[in-house]
Amino acid sequence: MTTNDPSADWSKLNPQAMWRDWVVKSEQQWSEALSTLMKDERAGGALNTQVAQARMMQKQFGEMMQMSLAAGNLPSRTDIEGLEERLGRVEDGLAALAAQVSQLTQALLARGAVQAEAAGVKTPTRGRKPALAAKK
Amino acid sequence: MVATTSSPPRTEAPVPLRLIQNPMHRALARMGLAGEDFADMTGALGTTPRETIYTQGTLKLQHYLPMVDDVYRVPVLIVTSLVNQPYILDLVPGQSMVEYLLKEGFDVYMIEWGRPRKEHKNLTLEDHVLDRLPACVAQVLRHSGESELSIIGYCVGGLLSVLYAALNPAGPLKNLVCMAAPVNGDGLVSLKTWMGKDFDEEALLEDFGNVPADWVQNALRALRPMGKVSGAMSLLNNMDKPEVVTSNLRMGKWEQDNIPFPGGVFRQMVNDFLRNNLLVKGKWQIGGKAANLKTIKVPLLHLLAQDDHITPYASSCDLVKLAGSKDKTETIVKGGHVGLVAGRGAQTRMWPALNDWLSQRST
Repeated sequence: MTTNDPSADWSKLNPQAMWRDWVVKSEQQWSEALSTLMKDERAGGALNTQVAQARMMQKQFGEMMQMSLAAGNLPSRTDIEGLEERLGRVEDGLAALAAQVSQLTQALLARGAVQAEAAGVKTPTRGRKPALAAKK
Repeated sequence: MVATTSSPPRTEAPVPLRLIQNPMHRALARMGLAGEDFADMTGALGTTPRETIYTQGTLKLQHYLPMVDDVYRVPVLIVTSLVNQPYILDLVPGQSMVEYLLKEGFDVYMIEWGRPRKEHKNLTLEDHVLDRLPACVAQVLRHSGESELSIIGYCVGGLLSVLYAALNPAGPLKNLVCMAAPVNGDGLVSLKTWMGKDFDEEALLEDFGNVPADWVQNALRALRPMGKVSGAMSLLNNMDKPEVVTSNLRMGKWEQDNIPFPGGVFRQMVNDFLRNNLLVKGKWQIGGKAANLKTIKVPLLHLLAQDDHITPYASSCDLVKLAGSKDKTETIVKGGHVGLVAGRGAQTRMWPALNDWLSQRST
């Protein structure tokens, strides 16, 4: 759309969308420039120092918050993580049961003690050929 | 008697709350997008019907229920990444690599490594490559009744698959497909710089046991610092295209859903893979055996993304160069690391390329 174009529809012009388009198109250059900067060993060293400090601060802050939360009878991050771990174990236990049911079904099918249809198991044949080979 | 996954029923809000107009609902309705909130718009993810056929700790081996009456003889085992949720390969119907493979006639299995807990902080590559992965391979063969299988490995899962293939040249692997699998630590320039001699991985592991999910996420984000901003801008400019918005939201949801990195594996990856780059030198010792890419003799396909900032070309191109296979192919498709397997480009380019290659070798 140029200023000389008589059919130009200026009502559809959206400066915000144009700006966002520019950001998207130039993002790769920005990211590449920042990544190149971070590939420098000194930048890597500085980043590591920052990360180590952040880890230490997070640890200290966490310990401080834990005491405050305990005083307020509220669960801390550690408590929530403990809960997550327990839920993870329950989930794993349920999955183990599901796997055992599946294995039992397989064993019963193999012995002919139960029909595949009755067990809700689909047993497709294994003779499929690729589309091109089938045409030949 | 097949146990399949399903999403829990959604409970309705109490009547008084329902009378209050939801501002998010109003905003979405103004944009012509259905749903009451963003969670509604993405829908339940990873819902292709499946059954769990084997577990080991947090690991679950899933078998997806076949969608055709006649499948290819050779079953396919998908090995997912250790740091990302596996549902990126099975987002929703129509945006799912798993569903695509099922419809094309493959018998599909998938390893979900699960979320490691503190008790799993000492899990190593040996545990994964010499114990957990072979146990899953044995289960797939038992369940399918076949004597060989194909493996598809994505990202770190691709690296694990490569190590497995290198350490088991006698079989039962028939075909190996890797998607954005890093094999050359020197090619991961940013990560190698950050995790150089100044990086104290032992202090991190002492504090946390495993590398926390938010640390993994921040490290991946730092590889493309402006990516998040650009993504948000792109989303705003596509608000009139609901299918683009929902697809983006699904992938965004997945990107924020990382898994902690098992401490033992992280230690090995930093020292052996990044700092010393032992794999391409053929000197990486896994359980006392050297993993050498030259020992991989099975047909090999490596699918790469043109703009992959997580597994750049320099870190992945050596797989096809160094593998001992006679039948080996490298295919580069447009897009990024995630778009390679789940984006709109994946549906039109990557999945058909994978199907063409694998179907010819699965009879």
